Amino acid sequence: MVDGIGGLRPHWRQLVSTFTAFGDGGWTEHAKRLNAAFDDEGVTGILPGTGRQSWRCDPLPLPIPATEFAHLADGLAQRAELLEAVLQDVYGAQQLLAEGVLPPVLVYDNEAYLRACHMSGPARRQPGHRFMDFYAADLVRGPDGAWRVLADRTAGAAGIAYARENRRTLARVIPEAFRGMQMRQLRPFFEIWQSALQRMGQERAAAARFAPPPGVGQGQLPLAQLPLADLSTPSLTNPGIALLTPGTGSRHWFEHMMLSRELSCALVEGGDLTVRGGAVYLKTLKGLQRVDVLLRRLDSRMIDPLELDAGSLIGVPGLMDAERSGAIRVTNDAGVGVMEAPAFAAWLPTLAIRLLGEKLKIDSVPTVWLGDRQAREMVWRSPERWMIREAVNGRSAAIEPARLTADERRTLLEDIAREPWRYAATTALAPSVAPCVGPNGMEPKPVILRVYMVFDGEEWRAMEGGLARVLEADEKMCGALPGEGLSKDVWVLNDERDDIVGPPMMPVMPIAIRRTTGDLPSRVADNLFWLGRYVERLEGSARLVRATILRLSRGAVMPRELVELAALSRSLVAADLVPAEAKMVSGGGEALSHALLASLRGRGWPPGSIAGLVDTVARLTESVRDRLTGDMYSAFTTALRQIRHDSQDVSHSWEALSVVMVDILRFSASVAGLAAENMVRGGGWLFLELGRRMERAQAICSQVGFSLEQSPARIEPALRLVLELCDSLITYRTRYLTVLQPAPVLDLVLADDGNPRGLAFQLAAIGHLLDQISGPGDGALSGIARGLLDDIQARVNTVAEAPDQAVAACLLPEILHKHAANIATLSDRVTRHYFALLPMAQTLGMGEENVGTGGTV
Amino acid sequence: MRFQVEHKTTFTYAEAVDLACHMVHLLPRALPHQTVISRAIVAEPTPARQSQGIDHFGNEVNWLFLDQAHPHFTITLHAEVEVAFPAPPDPDSTPPWEQVATAREGGPAQWQAAEFTFASPMVAADRDVAVYVAKSFPPGRPILVGLIDLLARIRTDFTFQAGVTTIATPVGRVMAQRAGVCQDFTHLMISGLRSLGLPARYVSGYIRTRPPPGQVRRRGADQSHAWVGCWLGPAFGWVDVDPTNNLIVSDEHVVLGWGRDYGDLSPVRGVILGGGAHRLDVSVDLLAV
Repeated sequence: MVDGIGGLRPHWRQLVSTFTAFGDGGWTEHAKRLNAAFDDEGVTGILPGTGRQSWRCDPLPLPIPATEFAHLADGLAQRAELLEAVLQDVYGAQQLLAEGVLPPVLVYDNEAYLRACHMSGPARRQPGHRFMDFYAADLVRGPDGAWRVLADRTAGAAGIAYARENRRTLARVIPEAFRGMQMRQLRPFFEIWQSALQRMGQERAAAARFAPPPGVGQGQLPLAQLPLADLSTPSLTNPGIALLTPGTGSRHWFEHMMLSRELSCALVEGGDLTVRGGAVYLKTLKGLQRVDVLLRRLDSRMIDPLELDAGSLIGVPGLMDAERSGAIRVTNDAGVGVMEAPAFAAWLPTLAIRLLGEKLKIDSVPTVWLGDRQAREMVWRSPERWMIREAVNGRSAAIEPARLTADERRTLLEDIAREPWRYAATTALAPSVAPCVGPNGMEPKPVILRVYMVFDGEEWRAMEGGLARVLEADEKMCGALPGEGLSKDVWVLNDERDDIVGPPMMPVMPIAIRRTTGDLPSRVADNLFWLGRYVERLEGSARLVRATILRLSRGAVMPRELVELAALSRSLVAADLVPAEAKMVSGGGEALSHALLASLRGRGWPPGSIAGLVDTVARLTESVRDRLTGDMYSAFTTALRQIRHDSQDVSHSWEALSVVMVDILRFSASVAGLAAENMVRGGGWLFLELGRRMERAQAICSQVGFSLEQSPARIEPALRLVLELCDSLITYRTRYLTVLQPAPVLDLVLADDGNPRGLAFQLAAIGHLLDQISGPGDGALSGIARGLLDDIQARVNTVAEAPDQAVAACLLPEILHKHAANIATLSDRVTRHYFALLPMAQTLGMGEENVGTGGTV
Repeated sequence: MRFQVEHKTTFTYAEAVDLACHMVHLLPRALPHQTVISRAIVAEPTPARQSQGIDHFGNEVNWLFLDQAHPHFTITLHAEVEVAFPAPPDPDSTPPWEQVATAREGGPAQWQAAEFTFASPMVAADRDVAVYVAKSFPPGRPILVGLIDLLARIRTDFTFQAGVTTIATPVGRVMAQRAGVCQDFTHLMISGLRSLGLPARYVSGYIRTRPPPGQVRRRGADQSHAWVGCWLGPAFGWVDVDPTNNLIVSDEHVVLGWGRDYGDLSPVRGVILGGGAHRLDVSVDLLAV
């Protein structure tokens, strides 16, 4: 912030004057509002080991003048090109090793060096193959004001989506801070990146070293009869681009989701892809869709269990072969992580001259390799001035001799003396500080800057901004991005003379027309279907529980209510909400009360417990997050958080319990409303809706069945319960006033397809949805739903025409339970038909077998 | 010596496998002292796609992709090979082992050997193994003298016993139980040599076996074999030694290829979808002609 002589750097002046206007209290207030915004949007951190803590951004950005940034970008572009040249060599001719320029340890003892990427003969790389199209560097500014590279990030550095999110949220929450400031926009970078991916796809298609082998596309595919969707359409004009993520379990899930949106590409997991005839396809509801470019955000070692980590069943078997043949472009390529070895920094100046014929434009933080005796002696002389790192492991934490006890330091030196080539040392420098908003106003704190670069086909381009990260007091500065803590937006400020350059939103280059791999991946359809089912199951459970506690809470129960409670307990047991022992046969409801409370408090047991259902809904919501609008996702998470929060208070108070049930019903209603009003009626909505209708249909059958398991004399309380559970009391009263008779009640809840809480409505909707999903001509599944509907309407007619309706109604449970099972079967057929459930992959030849026992001569 | 090799691997699955891919290291490597006269790999059922290449270590690799449901998969190598590895150098003429142990530093003469001085996924460094192996290498001893001593010690101290280890058994366990099969002795010896900084690599192949006295030779009774490639410095290069049989490889071994450890050249590696449980049958025939 200040220059070497204590004065304010000029680019801070305007910023400080803008921000001073907020006043002291304003700072903390802004920080709070920002935190709340990140919480609401569910921007979870990429912070290792912190679970799902929300992202934090300081209201004060880090300003960098455009000229200074241009210098940085130029230096990093050179560096990226240098790293690419080294990669070409270590995965190619290996001249640098053969001539002794690089010590073998940097490559051969480097776990990120993947020998599977170093093939020759027919499996050699295609001419012009590039390893890196994306690069990031972590930088620190020393007391002299110069930026130095602390770490090179070649293996898909995280944080870029957070940088975008920081900017967006700041602009929304503190728009006044942007007033009068001219900063460069981030969006153009994503346009460049998107076009670069597009270009790679076109090159891939044009290379045409690959041709679909005979057999593919002729209906011979063994897996779930998946047809090939797009073999007829050449992908030359509309390449399929997909971002490969480890999935929702990854701490980078949020980033991957946001990135796939920014770049308008499909977000896929390994299991969504399949290799056929040497090409890579995405499994969608409409069949297999060709993927031309894979933006890899899965660890290199995990991408292909056939050639790399055999235990990685989240990879795509055959991907490496497809890539070598040119059938797909993987970016960044596997194996690029080798360049993250900290010790490489010691060779970069030499390598720059050797490979580029230039001097390195941006220095690294001074780094030495301890395999070198002179370097070792230098570090020995003043160990406290250095940080020790593993030479080839970019993710290892730094050890600071200055913070060690004498004993620990001796042990460290002994370890190094034994295998010095395993270690590197970097200067322990104090990065310059920037003001940050703390609990007591502004405090200066050291920052690390991450800058992102992408190769546009001709040159490296920087994102004009970045992600700054505040170092906390005891944090080790090793360049592994965000530990727990605070981030800062980075503003590249236009120089005053730049002001006439026109609106900052202007894209830098024309955007290529693109069509993304749009059809719904089978996995997403699967998850949406189950989300629909579980939201409904949660709602149904809440209605059951509410009806039960309404009766239990009254204390002295009347005989009529005992009948109802017994019926309810059967439904609760059937729904796995309480264990079977809690079923009420006679007497009071103590056992039931206990079981119910336990179920609400317990996690995971019984299987249908409310807490368990809430967890499942939360997990499914996360897995389809990329298909939900921000508003929807936010509504989901806010409501789920509320339910969890209120559930904590549930002790023995029926009232507290009721509050949770109300939360749940409100949540379910808002999901229904949002789905109806905010989701396009495409594949995603169809499956969410289908899941919901199936679950409700099944629940109605089962609950009405259990309610009617009575002697005809007690039919009246049973009918009242049926109306209550189906939320149809009011409708019934308006139609029939207060007289309860079996036929009218059953007509309303089972046969009337105008009642959205009734069975007929669900079955009709299921038929309609299945027609839409399968398209015209294939009515096999929807026919089943219609058959069920016809049958149930006929049954209700029989009751209406029976001489004693009560007797006829009490015969229904058996049929209703059978129909519940029929609906379950239908649901099963739907999942099998559309979601192409793949059998588990297993690896051969790397485990117990193949032990050549080699007999003695 | 000329050999005919037939190496047949069959996977039989409990349920049909829908989709399978295999990476195969089965082709004998052409070497200055190993002439490959003929060789062919036959897979059944016929793969929908095949590709080939040369791996990082110079071994030939085949990839096979099957996309039709199949209840079993068989892959067979047929080859005819002539081997005549030269006699090893005079052990006393080989350099002191400490000199060979500078290989890790790399440079024009030894950068390729350096790769085999580092621990690898299936051959970790182990303190007990390091201590055991170091006893054969007192200061200044010529490298091959040390290796010959070590071979004899392994033969005496370890029992050849099938079934007490798997391919995943760590060398430390083999050291403790003093028993195992050829892969275990090979991995153990490699681990110990690397601890001293000596380059050592895993060689995969076959060895000629003879029936017990008075019995006829049974077809398919031979097995895959593994031994250690040792580097004697730039002047002498690599020499293969067989710790299971306490001998220096001459003309009764056929080389398939080499790598850092078994993981680099598993003969038939694969990933299948479906299949349930599977059974593996391997038969090897090495016939001197």
